[in-house]
Amino acid sequence: MKTGEFIVRRILLLIPVMIGVTVFTFAIAQIIPADPAAILCGERCGLVDPVTGKTMLELQRERLGLNEPVIVQFKLYIENLLAGDWGESTTYNRPTSDVVRDAAPVTLEMALFALLMGYPIGITLGILSAVWQDQVFDHISRFLAIAFVSLPIFWLAMMLQLIFGTGPEVGGICDPIFGTEGGCLPIYGRHDAALTYPDRTSNLCDTAITGIACYPSWYPSGGTGFHLVDSWFVTDEALANIHPDYASNSKLFNDTLVHLVLPSFTLGIASAGSLLRYMRASLLEVMNEDYVRTARAKGLSESRVIIVHACRNALVPILTILGFSIGGAIGGAVLTESIFAFYGMGNVAVDAIINLDYSVLMGVTLITAIIFLMSNLIVDLLYGVVDPRVRLE
Amino acid sequence: MSWEDGAEDRAESLRRIKESAAQARYDFKRGWKIYRRSLLAVIGLLMVISISVVSIFADDIAVEHPGRNLQDTRDVWHIDYEPRKAAPFSEECDTRYQKVSLTELRRWDANGTNALSPTRVADNNLFYYDILVVTEFIELQNRNGVTLASDLVTLESSNNSYFWISDELIENNSVTQIKLVYKFENDAMHHWWLPDGYDVCIFGTNDEGQDLFSKILYGSRVSLTIGFTVATLTVIIGTIIGSISGYFGGRVDEVIMRITDIFFAVPGLILALAFVAALQAVDNFTIPLALAFLAPIIALAFYARSNIIEVFMPGSEGTSFSKLNPLIILGIGSGVLLLIILFDAYRFWHGIFELRDTRFWRLLLSFLAIFIIAGLLTLDKRLIDNFTTDGFSNRALNVFDWKNPYRYLSFRTLVIFVASIALFSWSGNSENEIVIIDNFDRLWKIQIALVFTGWPGYARLIRGQVLYVKEMTFVEAARSVGAPSGRIMFRHILPNAWAPLLVAFTLDIGGTILSASGLSFIGLGAEPGAAEWGKLVSDGRAHFPQDYWLVLFPGLAIAYTTLGFNLLGDGLRDVVDPKNRR
Repeated sequence: MKTGEFIVRRILLLIPVMIGVTVFTFAIAQIIPADPAAILCGERCGLVDPVTGKTMLELQRERLGLNEPVIVQFKLYIENLLAGDWGESTTYNRPTSDVVRDAAPVTLEMALFALLMGYPIGITLGILSAVWQDQVFDHISRFLAIAFVSLPIFWLAMMLQLIFGTGPEVGGICDPIFGTEGGCLPIYGRHDAALTYPDRTSNLCDTAITGIACYPSWYPSGGTGFHLVDSWFVTDEALANIHPDYASNSKLFNDTLVHLVLPSFTLGIASAGSLLRYMRASLLEVMNEDYVRTARAKGLSESRVIIVHACRNALVPILTILGFSIGGAIGGAVLTESIFAFYGMGNVAVDAIINLDYSVLMGVTLITAIIFLMSNLIVDLLYGVVDPRVRLE
Repeated sequence: MSWEDGAEDRAESLRRIKESAAQARYDFKRGWKIYRRSLLAVIGLLMVISISVVSIFADDIAVEHPGRNLQDTRDVWHIDYEPRKAAPFSEECDTRYQKVSLTELRRWDANGTNALSPTRVADNNLFYYDILVVTEFIELQNRNGVTLASDLVTLESSNNSYFWISDELIENNSVTQIKLVYKFENDAMHHWWLPDGYDVCIFGTNDEGQDLFSKILYGSRVSLTIGFTVATLTVIIGTIIGSISGYFGGRVDEVIMRITDIFFAVPGLILALAFVAALQAVDNFTIPLALAFLAPIIALAFYARSNIIEVFMPGSEGTSFSKLNPLIILGIGSGVLLLIILFDAYRFWHGIFELRDTRFWRLLLSFLAIFIIAGLLTLDKRLIDNFTTDGFSNRALNVFDWKNPYRYLSFRTLVIFVASIALFSWSGNSENEIVIIDNFDRLWKIQIALVFTGWPGYARLIRGQVLYVKEMTFVEAARSVGAPSGRIMFRHILPNAWAPLLVAFTLDIGGTILSASGLSFIGLGAEPGAAEWGKLVSDGRAHFPQDYWLVLFPGLAIAYTTLGFNLLGDGLRDVVDPKNRR
């Protein structure tokens, strides 16, 4: 099978799943015990329109197509979805697509950075564990692998906050070591407080009113939403008149980075745990292969055999887990975001459920599914590049 | 055929049972030998056992019921409510602040007050207070917390529960309220396993003065219940769907696997969140009466090797619905469902089964159902073949014929009859629905949500196993002697595919406890104030990081239990690993 054909086939396979996910989100919205029409017209529901003689509630229902059979509603939903109209958020009074577009990069940035932190830990421990199989280190790291996935992520987040973000009088360990005051790592938000809400009085960041559009004032209008990227590319001129302490973008970048450390580490730990096991198993399997024996027979040093010959091949199957890890990290972000005050999809989803904001809930479910499927697609394509045998299937 | 004729068969089956028991004992011994090689696995087993024991004996170990509060500072005079947190291992647990309103005392013309416990609800639903025995009077404060001269209040020497308030205080009208700080004899708070005099609350108390240790102990019951219920239900559902998918293959497999793909595409927690939200308005879990009425009939119709088919389709000897292509059945079923849902046939459907909410109608319906079920059973070819005489009356008589070896079969039918009468006529009180879970609280909702999100994993696992076992020779042998699909599935394939399932089940208990506590932490799980670990962590968040113990200990409990089950599952994985079978 040619590469192009392989890619097309992989993408075509996504279509039924995508349709299934839209059916799914639609079904959830149908079951949720909220009348979107009643929420939209609010107090004016009882008012009677003099022209048609119908109440506002009835008009609203007609406008949303709620009186139609379910199949027609579904058709309407799909049409709107394709046209970019994801509905109106009743909590934030903004279009759902805007809410989701603002929230997705926050979670994605956190999740990707988490994998960036978790993967080296997991892979290193996994390799060492396989090399020293059945020795003390192996037992310890296998225990760690199980322990990492057993820790409740929200609890781990708070414990890390306690250890790294507080002074010694509460339980922090940083101050005596690094000479800092009140902990060495920030525990809330994506930026220093001075930077995040420069115009707090203008209600720009009041989530109750504008949703999660909590842009720092340096935020470029065409930004990606990934603050690590945006702060790297923002010009010094744009920054100069905001805060004298952060007049250069390297400082801003550092600030963003430091704020990402704890949330990402929390998320990364869980993926490191499962990765460690996979890496260990994969490497142990590869070590029994003929080419490893050949490499040894050639008289190569053991470290060269492991690093060059075994690890390179052992890492290939690990690639498949990458796609799943992103899904797992996004799921975990639901729990950590509220603790670290990141206004990403997790916080939005929880808000939507508490307020029965069904369109946002549908949007978040849909966008997580899209992200997950896309990341799996990319991983699959990468896999096809790394291991050409896959394409033959 | 009489009862005596079957004696040989029964002896044979008894011998087989004994044989398999011996085999099981041997397997267990060998498994344990492999299991105990791993220290971590043994530790995991001990952890699971310990947490189970704790949850069983929580009543005996805990010092207070989660709903009760010994240190509650709500006092007799209902002045205001000042809860008090105590740090772990502090001895403050048996110290009590009691506010005394002097204005009240003046009104009652009294100059003394008792040391009283917080309000309690007695069995007769009346509030009352225990009189506490004071061991040490610590200090006296005014309402702003400033210490006053302690000789203004004296403890009655003959009665260690009564404080005399000096005339000076009583007559000084500018003082309206004082605060007494004293230690009291707190036998209830004493852990039997701690030495005398160490009446400490080992995990501290929460912001309402409740003992955190006791709450965590009771929380183990909630968590273990959720873990076991969800894991069991998911295993059952996942096994059924996965084995259908693996066994029949082809298009059935394709459809089921695409459905699991959809489930995998959305992170489990977000899916569970959405599902809990969707269930928000549901107060009790019911199924429509129509479904309950039709389900057994449809099930029997599929199951029965019915004579009806022979009547309508002569020549198709031995055909049954169950032999039809499952895809056709699936297609017809989902087609009907789609028609109902999509084209508002629901109203029409409802109209058919619209019943008055009277017992008479229920009874009538149940008898109707029973007649149809009985008819199906009577027409069942297999059963008729086994009897010397046909007919319903004889079958009914056979139930009471204790010499008949098939009476158990008939007995089972009778039980189904009686059960369906009971189900139809006495369960629930809503008009068109049968109540399955009456008190469908939030804990039930997260359990249903976790089952809903968890089954695809098992379905895939079992599918893979079934695909593997299906190709083995003994399955082929069973098929070649004409064993029906169901029998091959349950007698030949599943018993050989259970090993990874057991591992997944154990690991899933841990995973479920983790997810359930996560949902509770967000605020979708347990009710406020419930002794659920995730809820305790989220309650403690308000006082974090100053009073870190409110977060630390419940979280440790979750981690301990999950770790225990994960280590256990990991150990079991080694046991069932084919590489270890020597």
